[in-house]
Amino acid sequence: MISKSLALKVLNAALETGGDYAEIYVEDTKTNAVSLENGKVETSSRNESYGAGIRILNGFRSAYGYTSDLSEKSLLALAKSLAASYQGERKITVKSLTKQRVKVLNKIDQPLASVPTTEKIEVLKEAYSIIHESDPRIVRVITGFSDYHTDIEIFNAEGEEGKQFNNFQERGRMTMLAFASDGEKMETYFSGPARFAGWGYFKNELDWRKEAKTVAEKVIMMLGADECPSGRFPVVITNGWGGVLFHEACGHPLEASATAKGLSCFSGCIGQQIASPLVSAYDDGTIPNEWGSNNLDDEGVPTKKNMLIKDGICVGFMVDRLNGRRLGMEPNGTARRQSFHYEPTSRMSNTYIAAGKDDPEQIIKDTKLGVYVTNFGGGSVNPATGEFNFSASEAYIIRDGKVCEPVRGCTLIGTGKDVLMNIDRVGKDLALGQGMCGAASGYIPVDVGQPTIRLKEITVGGRGGELK
Amino acid sequence: MNVKKFFELAKEKGLSDCQIQISKSKSTDIGIFRKEIDSYTISDSQSIKACGIYNGKFASCTTNRLDKNAFEFLINGIIDAATVSEKEESVDLFEGSEKYHKKNVFNPALAEFPIEKKIELLFQIEKDILASDPRVSEVETVSYRETESSSAFYSSKGLKLSQKRNLFTLVAGAVGKQGEETKTAYNFFYGNDFSKVDEKKFVKELIDELLPQFGGTQCKAAKYPTVLRYDIFSSFVGYFIASASADEVQRHTSFLGDKLHQKVASKKITISERPLDKNPFFTYFDDEGVATYNKDIVKGGVLETFLYNRETAKKDGVSTTGNGYWAGSKIGTDTGFIKVKQGKKSFEEMIAPIKEGVYITDIAGLGTGMNSTTGNFSCQASGYMIRDGKVAEPLNLITLSGNLLKMFADVKDIDKQDAIQSSINCPDVFIKKMSIGGK
Repeated sequence: MISKSLALKVLNAALETGGDYAEIYVEDTKTNAVSLENGKVETSSRNESYGAGIRILNGFRSAYGYTSDLSEKSLLALAKSLAASYQGERKITVKSLTKQRVKVLNKIDQPLASVPTTEKIEVLKEAYSIIHESDPRIVRVITGFSDYHTDIEIFNAEGEEGKQFNNFQERGRMTMLAFASDGEKMETYFSGPARFAGWGYFKNELDWRKEAKTVAEKVIMMLGADECPSGRFPVVITNGWGGVLFHEACGHPLEASATAKGLSCFSGCIGQQIASPLVSAYDDGTIPNEWGSNNLDDEGVPTKKNMLIKDGICVGFMVDRLNGRRLGMEPNGTARRQSFHYEPTSRMSNTYIAAGKDDPEQIIKDTKLGVYVTNFGGGSVNPATGEFNFSASEAYIIRDGKVCEPVRGCTLIGTGKDVLMNIDRVGKDLALGQGMCGAASGYIPVDVGQPTIRLKEITVGGRGGELK
Repeated sequence: MNVKKFFELAKEKGLSDCQIQISKSKSTDIGIFRKEIDSYTISDSQSIKACGIYNGKFASCTTNRLDKNAFEFLINGIIDAATVSEKEESVDLFEGSEKYHKKNVFNPALAEFPIEKKIELLFQIEKDILASDPRVSEVETVSYRETESSSAFYSSKGLKLSQKRNLFTLVAGAVGKQGEETKTAYNFFYGNDFSKVDEKKFVKELIDELLPQFGGTQCKAAKYPTVLRYDIFSSFVGYFIASASADEVQRHTSFLGDKLHQKVASKKITISERPLDKNPFFTYFDDEGVATYNKDIVKGGVLETFLYNRETAKKDGVSTTGNGYWAGSKIGTDTGFIKVKQGKKSFEEMIAPIKEGVYITDIAGLGTGMNSTTGNFSCQASGYMIRDGKVAEPLNLITLSGNLLKMFADVKDIDKQDAIQSSINCPDVFIKKMSIGGK
């Protein structure tokens, strides 16, 4: 997107005042989205996001800037403005840039942008019909498909020989949102399967008809749900999207952006027990075609399978280049950003608790009184205190080992350290779920995951009074 | 950019009418950590949002790639989107309001104030936070962000409008430790007049937020008289107002849907949209080129109006309320500066009658814990017990659950707090009872 000779000039301008690392991140993202309201095309849109970010590191300091003007004049002016934030002598002159081989982990059969919008609309109309025709109480259905194709070019240097990386990302997401009403109450249910993949996945692998039927069934079931009780009691959390608990309670505090400055509840915890011995956990950006996967990270480091917790012991963090310097650790392919508008930092990709040995059904059978949480809205965490919350959009009461009536509107809260130590059962049914994660470097696609787990006790908030 | 060429190309390609909005933004961010400039970010970006009518269908397209192909990309995008659109009716583009209330809210003095002085202040804030109490273990961040943005609007109907504004945000976060306990607190200051920063007051507010949190426990799960601090209440007001969007009402997915001119809140509640107030949130036209105006949305507890853009107004046979703003790839509904009318009592007077209650000063997870269709919500919270009319021991890791309509109906009192902390300006409120989850 920019020539090697221009990149060389810009890197050298950036390094003029003593920077010890410089980087240019050039991005061209093309987005297509179509949304249907009750089976009729409401909006179809196209967007292009194009620009570059320049970063200069000097020890633990960082200067970052971005522009949507990729002319030589603009990029050199930006590099010089950023360099002016340091007052030193040049340490590095970049003499060459060598293009690096990037291993493509995520193969794309049919690029999403090449699929006619009408073909996507056909799928969305059928999904609408399946949901709408399931029950007359379903009063509104929004179905949509979005695809993002990003071409990325990274030039970086911390010595005379600089590197060039070219990468692409191809992501698609199908969304189904149903509203049901019985005249008094109204409920919603959402499903959004997503992948780093081409159209072949959505057309041939994803069973979206089954997913649409599930959306219809769940929204009707939740219409009849009571309010969730509140208090402290055992909670069983389903596999897949249930991993949002680990994502919030443990994943964010294990990002080097939090641990490096001593601002995380898990700072300095490597080698220490932070979870029940039943828990091992990974962040793995290499799983082929998963929503949170990538060929390499946004600093040009290949993605990896990083072990974070082994049998309850903290064994690693997600580390980006700048925070790696602070920690004395090597970057491990986890630097991510939403777009060139953001400086990269350590973020999760596909983060999950590894499978255990328990039969998931037995975990429920062994629970006398508690709540079984099966779907989530999302959550947030304060990495410094470790206090987290996540909201459950679908849950059931467990009585005498049986799943009973559905409940809605519950929030689970706790601290990362307590909740991880409180996991007393881990199932063998590991699965992943897709979502969007927001933090310092913007909104990025991530997978969360876990097998069915049980928490001995956690604080649950709801409007349904005491659990009986 | 030569917008005349855009209109010529649009006409040539068969668009009957079109509009274009060019936005430019420049920003500088400075963050300090442990007596050093930790991060420095500058930006200069532009984007174009365009919409138009093709074969009687309205559609839009956006880009920030402002090269020679930008106009062609936008127009082809509009044509492709209009071709597949199945919307039954489309609105015409707007010809212009009779009168616009343009004010100059751009403060050139902000950019002229030397950057060195701004950085000096950040270091001073960091130093003063650390020196304020031995329990302050770290200053998580002290950062300053200054943005300058401009927007120019042109339509093929001859309408030309523009506005320019600037704003700075000062943020500080502190970490406190006492024994095994770790607590955090943040303070924010917004504005476009740097001389209004009162450094001592800013630091004191942060420390006053941080230190009393130590020793926080969970209260017993129950329903309590609940006081929401102004900044917490403003989050709920934002969701409440969003439900007055005619778009949601017309789709039968708003809990305010059948309540126009009916009581939707306690008579103590009056919520106004005041886009023409002279503050950094001032805006005199919406994204359809319609003149904005100040209005009551809820007056004395009664819902006075829904919020309309031109399309939803046409459906209901009313005039737009000047609330048409871009929402992703379409013109949706949004609001400018919102103000909730204050009461007359001080905070102390307002909480005096509460024998045992809860005072909420922080929430987390409302974004995912709110069902904006039903108004039901549940989120993490912290704050203090109220005992015998006074703020008492701290509370930590509790939950706050309720329903927006019930909560607004149950507002028993409001105080006279009046601090512009965000685009929603609220007093503190006293709610009869809310569900608090804890032990």
